[in-house]
Amino acid sequence: MIKGYWVILRFELFALFVSPATYVASFYFLALLGVGFRFFIESFVLTDWILPPLASLVVGLIFGAPALIPFLTMRSFAEERRLGTLETLMSAPVSNLGIVLGKWTASYLFFIFITLASFCFPLIISFWFPEQAESLGFDKIEQWVGTLTFLLIFGASFSSVGIFASSVTNNQMVAGMLTFTLLTLYLSVMMFYFGENIDSQFTNGPAQLFWSCFGAIFGGLNKMQYFSVGIIDIPTVLYQLVVTFYFLILASTQIDQVKK
Amino acid sequence: MSNERKPLPIVEVLNLRKRYRSTEALRGISFSIGKGEIVGFLGPNGAGKSTTLRILSGLVAADSGEAKVCGVDLAEEEGEVREHIGYLAENNPLPEDFRVIEYLKYRASLKGLKGSRKRERIKSVLEICDLERKISEKRIGNLSKGFRQRVGIADSLLAEPRLIILDEPTIGLDPRQSAITRKMMERLRGEVSFILSSHILSEVEACCDRMIILSHGLIVAEGTLVELQKKFIQSVAFEIVSKAKKIELQRSVRKIDPQCELLQDDPVEITGRRRFTFNCSKGQETVELILRTLLEGNNFEISEFQVCRPDLETIFLKATKQNWQEMDLLGRGKNKISKPQN
Repeated sequence: MIKGYWVILRFELFALFVSPATYVASFYFLALLGVGFRFFIESFVLTDWILPPLASLVVGLIFGAPALIPFLTMRSFAEERRLGTLETLMSAPVSNLGIVLGKWTASYLFFIFITLASFCFPLIISFWFPEQAESLGFDKIEQWVGTLTFLLIFGASFSSVGIFASSVTNNQMVAGMLTFTLLTLYLSVMMFYFGENIDSQFTNGPAQLFWSCFGAIFGGLNKMQYFSVGIIDIPTVLYQLVVTFYFLILASTQIDQVKK
Repeated sequence: MSNERKPLPIVEVLNLRKRYRSTEALRGISFSIGKGEIVGFLGPNGAGKSTTLRILSGLVAADSGEAKVCGVDLAEEEGEVREHIGYLAENNPLPEDFRVIEYLKYRASLKGLKGSRKRERIKSVLEICDLERKISEKRIGNLSKGFRQRVGIADSLLAEPRLIILDEPTIGLDPRQSAITRKMMERLRGEVSFILSSHILSEVEACCDRMIILSHGLIVAEGTLVELQKKFIQSVAFEIVSKAKKIELQRSVRKIDPQCELLQDDPVEITGRRRFTFNCSKGQETVELILRTLLEGNNFEISEFQVCRPDLETIFLKATKQNWQEMDLLGRGKNKISKPQN
């Protein structure tokens, strides 16, 4: 069913690691994130921030994702369609799902690589300034696990949106802009419902079911407070996985359209 | 009755149809290709050649009909069919950033080749396609068209397929590079079946065992060159090189044989002289009479005359012209839209 997955994953990872655009985007993203994190930590005591300081990295990465994800995904299908190499790829004994999953995994792994690189900032503080790090809560392993899990599940769904956007056009700039727009919209809706309990608007019937699903997907940012203290909210994990697979299936269907 | 069993054909196509919105690309074509056969696919632009090849490679789904490759139905086991096929797409798209050897390794892995077999196959196709070590280390983006085409052919040969589909493999290549492609096909003749789509008729004539001519989604002719010559040119063809005007020459020829047909719509002109090819259904004697009459008339300044064996181009033109007449695409039929008269 996913024939060719490993070969495509290796090839795509190689393509990402040899592309200068990926390095330039990653460098600027990490540099900006690092500067932001430094100023946040410096002024942390003066803010009314209620979450652990480590969560500031999550906020930076999540809200920076619309700028970062397009660089990782826009090339994947759009460039292949432009060059015509998608046809050559599909003439080999590989499945559509194998192609989509291989390309998605490669961009997702790169996102994980950047996430892990950004977590070096608190690690450096812990290494050079252990006392300050302790007072900021950087020694609490559950916070590290929670924030990383939160980023990993949102990274998965965000990169699947990027892969889908790349599959609908043969122009990588259009793919990049579409990814940016979709992710910004997604984050805007999540911000709109931030701090509200969406699923308790109706108490019974189909409306309640709808709002509970809607709330689980678009109220994802509300759960950051749990994740940042090390509580893994399983429904949030599952719902983000649903979003991930939904967009990957859409991308696979889009690739199928090439055959018609 | 003979007990000898006929070998299973490599390709079996039955009543294949495909429509792209309002255009009917294939109108129910049927054919088969045997093991080791080299079959040429010919036809004018938009005849349905590439659509047929893309359906056989599993890249496009047919609307109806049946297509089997190595006995496996494309509609049911598309993935398995691709394991038996090597495909070179029209325009041969390749990733520019990769070195030839890296690309071939990637394609070999995609086709399920591993370990020593993968290494052996890559070495073998590099040798077959004349891609020596120096070239194999170059980036694909820096290669000339000819070498890029050879990389595409090397890719199609990698997994030792039983059927190789080459869609316009020599387009834009110089004669030397085209000869290398032909040499490669000659080398594999008998072992692998080839479907070769090309506009270069001399090339198809030189290397194909059999030809299939398509026009407007239909097969208008099929067979070996000899069979096609018998079918389409029952008569004697002759060439006249002259300074004469087309209409005057045609009129003089038709005085002797009213059915004598000029095969080209627009004869080739070189330094003021034109090469006319006629087709005479009344045999050699009438052809000789035509020549004598034209020479006696002395108005045509004939510099060359020869009775010729009809080549594939003549057959191609005749077969497609016949199809166009049947479909009234030449605008001479009853259905021709006439200007309304007030």
